[in-house]
Amino acid sequence: MVELAMGIMLGLCGVGAGIALIAGIGPGIGEGQAVAAACEAIGRQPEAKSDVTSTMIMGCAIAETTGLYGLIIGILLIFVAPGIFSGVLKDTVLALK
Amino acid sequence: MAKLDPTVRKETEYIAVWVIALSLLMEAVFLLIGKWTPAVLWGNLAGAAAAVGNYLLLGITVAKAASGPADKVALRVRSSMTARMLGTAAVCALAIGLFHTDVYATVIPLLFPRVGIAFRPLVDRKRGKTEAPSEGSDLLD
Repeated sequence: MVELAMGIMLGLCGVGAGIALIAGIGPGIGEGQAVAAACEAIGRQPEAKSDVTSTMIMGCAIAETTGLYGLIIGILLIFVAPGIFSGVLKDTVLALK
Repeated sequence: MAKLDPTVRKETEYIAVWVIALSLLMEAVFLLIGKWTPAVLWGNLAGAAAAVGNYLLLGITVAKAASGPADKVALRVRSSMTARMLGTAAVCALAIGLFHTDVYATVIPLLFPRVGIAFRPLVDRKRGKTEAPSEGSDLLD
């Protein structure tokens, strides 16, 4: 029974990590649109290329942070959460005995 | 090897300075709370390298997209982001899973570039204040 509970818990941690990584989809689409718009701006004003590129890099990095949050949650769910949850599970089983 | 765009170099240097400073601060915090081990240091190094590398590759992609043809730019940036995200995840997973680095010390540096960007307006304002008198003095001369 404990093995089954452990298996379910590990599986759910994996599913949770996968769901957390969905957060990476939005920033990718947003970054693509932002850079495409910046390209048009550079095409209209080539002399502002340096400024536009600098602002664009910063903007893309800010957008990407959202994806990184998801990645960090995923990593924590894979590497940290199973240890914590299995400890809680063992403690509960011992308390019930 | 292609020459790095000066704007990308400047921005990456700015972020790298912030990542190094915040990494030192994080090491100090780990020391203070008595949780410092060599695994923390290696994790910090892996995370910081992944963060700066990710930012550098982002800059290169954006600079290339800005100087290249406008069609398919969105697709190129999107695929670059996917590749960079997978690379970052692979570096962190390898460091934690294979080299047994500290998990928190590995993932926290990934957020340091965001802190540097948040302080960017302050730094720019300070730079503007120091540069303004010299421009003004030129006019007065």
